[in-house]
Amino acid sequence: MTAGWGLDPDLLDRALERVLRRGGDFAEVFVEGKSSLSLRLEEARVESVSSGEDRGASIRLVRGDRTSFGYTDSLAEEDLLRLAEELSAGSGDGPGSLRKLEARRGVSFVVVHTEPSDVETTAKAAVLRQVDEAARAVSGEVRQVACGYSESRQRVQIANSEGTLAEDDRTRVVLSLTVVAQRDGVIQTGYETLAQHGGYELIENADLGAFAQKAANKAITMLGARPAPTGRMPVVLANGFGGVLFHEACGHGLEADFIVKRTSIWQGRQGERVAEPFVTAYDDGATPGMWGSAAFDDEGTPSERTPVVEHGILTSYLTDILRGRRLGQRLTGNGRRQSFRHLPYPRMTNTYFAPGKITAEALIESTPRAFYAKSLSGGQVDPATGDFVFGVSEGYLIEDGKIGPAVKGATLIGNGAEVLSAIDAIADDLDVKAGMCGKEGQSVPVGTGQPTLRLRELTVGGTSV
Amino acid sequence: MSRGGPGQGQQGTSNGSPSLLSLGRRFLAATPALPGEVELYLERSRTTSIKVYARQVESLVTGAPSGVGVRYVLDGRQGYAYTADLGDEAFRRTLDRAVANAEATDPDPHVALPQPPRSYPDVPGLWRPGVGSTPMERKIALAMEAEAVALAAEEIETVEESAYADGESQVALVSSLGVEVEGEQTVCYCYLSAHARRGEDVQTALGYTTGREPEDLEAEVAGAEAALKARRLLGAAPCASGSYTVVLDREVAAAVLGIIARALSAEAVQKGRSLFVGKEGKLVAATQLCLVDNGVHPEGMDSSAFDDEGVPRGQTDLIRDGVLAGYLYDTYTANRAGGGRGSTGNAARGSYRSAPGVSSSNLVLEAGECSLEELFARVGKGLYVLSVTGLHSGANPVSGEFSVGAVGHLIENGALGAPVREITIASDLLSMLRNVTDRAGDQRWIPFHGSVLTPAIAIGGIAVSGT
Repeated sequence: MTAGWGLDPDLLDRALERVLRRGGDFAEVFVEGKSSLSLRLEEARVESVSSGEDRGASIRLVRGDRTSFGYTDSLAEEDLLRLAEELSAGSGDGPGSLRKLEARRGVSFVVVHTEPSDVETTAKAAVLRQVDEAARAVSGEVRQVACGYSESRQRVQIANSEGTLAEDDRTRVVLSLTVVAQRDGVIQTGYETLAQHGGYELIENADLGAFAQKAANKAITMLGARPAPTGRMPVVLANGFGGVLFHEACGHGLEADFIVKRTSIWQGRQGERVAEPFVTAYDDGATPGMWGSAAFDDEGTPSERTPVVEHGILTSYLTDILRGRRLGQRLTGNGRRQSFRHLPYPRMTNTYFAPGKITAEALIESTPRAFYAKSLSGGQVDPATGDFVFGVSEGYLIEDGKIGPAVKGATLIGNGAEVLSAIDAIADDLDVKAGMCGKEGQSVPVGTGQPTLRLRELTVGGTSV
Repeated sequence: MSRGGPGQGQQGTSNGSPSLLSLGRRFLAATPALPGEVELYLERSRTTSIKVYARQVESLVTGAPSGVGVRYVLDGRQGYAYTADLGDEAFRRTLDRAVANAEATDPDPHVALPQPPRSYPDVPGLWRPGVGSTPMERKIALAMEAEAVALAAEEIETVEESAYADGESQVALVSSLGVEVEGEQTVCYCYLSAHARRGEDVQTALGYTTGREPEDLEAEVAGAEAALKARRLLGAAPCASGSYTVVLDREVAAAVLGIIARALSAEAVQKGRSLFVGKEGKLVAATQLCLVDNGVHPEGMDSSAFDDEGVPRGQTDLIRDGVLAGYLYDTYTANRAGGGRGSTGNAARGSYRSAPGVSSSNLVLEAGECSLEELFARVGKGLYVLSVTGLHSGANPVSGEFSVGAVGHLIENGALGAPVREITIASDLLSMLRNVTDRAGDQRWIPFHGSVLTPAIAIGGIAVSGT
């Protein structure tokens, strides 16, 4: 799949040797080529089409606790070797050890049926117009539609001093839609996204009309919303977008850099009960097609499905090479980076709770009164305290086991440890959504998902005091 | 990336390679005859980023990214393409893509490249030699000093990260309409995140300092700031729910102003994505509020002589005595507004990878006269907010909804009181603007959420959700 792309392994070997010649415990060369295309429609007009090419390489040298890292926008041999030379500078204590490079076979599980670059740009523009028309057809209250399409193909090659030589070829396609509806001076927005690690078949096989209607209906429903209540109450989180809860409130704190620095609420808690026995959660970079999946992480470690909470017990942190070694823990394939210009950090791939046995309908019927968060618009957490905040873009009240009136302007606020132990029911309707996660100034694609689930109690911050 | 003054006197590109402007001219000269207009945006920078942890260097990152973005406009259609490769062949391929991309768009008669201006303003001091000439050891020492000062404070358990970073960047713009301009600027900063612990209770806070060269930085002050803020928050707990007068600290005020500025872009207004649609000339805020976008402020980190499509930067009144005085424009939105309106010099792009859109430069909120302590005394009873979370999802520049998590202190008997956490504060942005009751005189440049110069502000009638 990547044959004919990348640098000659012999050159990679020489670069590693060069950077290690004055000492070092670990060295790595990361080579990347990326092409991308994006289109954007707004005001019923395809207003921008942009494409780009990036390529370059970085070298990392770890010596004791210090990491030196540099990158070059060039793939020329002389530039790579000069970079290796610059990074190697330091007090010499003999060359670091270097093992013979051995190619790791990429699990080429990503089957691209339709190569996005084989599809005419005008056909992609037509898709945006079709989605726009379908969203506007839903109601005269739809005032604005913004629709974006983007595709990217990222090829990476990773070689390190421990003999790893890995290649990966990642194609991603995403369609996103924001619908703005207006009634009596009130404005609301609805958002939907369709994304996969895979080819253009995602768009070819999609029901674009249903996709558009979902976003439009969300905006229109929220037009009639009343102000959200304020206070502590049971909360039901819908499947799909609700998975931002685990990502923000728990997942970040499981990333091993926070564990190493003892700034995570989960530090030292491996093996402890953190949730009810029916709660299991994964970080899964290995399921084909999922947005955050890849054959290898950005350090050449094969992706896997890691149980982080198993039957309520905290089982694993998410590691990259540096932090995994420091903690003496196995590598989970979570060393990720935005591009060759960035250092890898432990990052989530796709996170989700395992499905339970009851239906979402039954879960709601068994809930006398609760706040129902149908869509979360995003959130933020302080890993040190576990305190988090989510915005609710689509919310309702559950009254007498039924979904009642829509409410707006709500945020969910709480603490990661508390919320995990507060899960008291999980339904069977697992869905994983695509998003971008920011950390250390880097943005990487992640999947966040869950089945519908219920929290015994959480603070809802609304405007209705 | 923002940049310095145009050309003259700033040719000191320390790496000795040909100037970006001459490269741009060469590319343009080699462009075949095309029916439309072409604009090239070239960028080259050098960056250093140092992270220190536990009194040791944790990571040291250096890079020299560069690239060119090509905009092609024909009959109201705009195509864009970029490449990180500044070679001739890559440029030709990128130009071809921009031309092809234009064909896939729908036309809009207002889409056009700007005409070359008569002159550019002089914005002195944006490039300074210190970033390039300061040895790496000194830069490391700055991050170490900030960390050491914080760690020396009582109850500070760890500094999660203490960082020094700098950048030296050059930008050049050339177009087939005759725009030819280049500029250069430097920036550097230190920041750190301190963790205070008392028993099981852990609180974190940031300290930071910015400048044009390392000698501008006050690393010890940043270290002390992070330590003090974190320690003061120890023992924080939710406060009672209710309606409060809230004092937004400068960092939080800057964040709110950043969202308001997004809604004041003509792009957001014309596309109906702003809560300020139809409000020009109307009273939208307390009459004591004056907000200016100043793209040429000598101290502003987002200052430059020209914007990201080569239009001269300037000053734009956004809110004057509470009245919405105007919006921010680039060439497209100014053409679209009509009536002879010109760009306010607010075209911006994240990098050469993107076509320009409208964005604020340096936002300046006029200061009051009292100190922060006097402001607490005047408020009497309320809530002092030090930081907010969930802003990107909780503050909506279209609907105006505002609901975010907050950390801070109660204001009791006119003075700083008990620390508070795990609460939300909620209102809507227009009510917040109207309900500003007071301002302190403690203006500070805030490098987050753009570049903002603001004092702490007091706002009445905010819904607080706690216990």
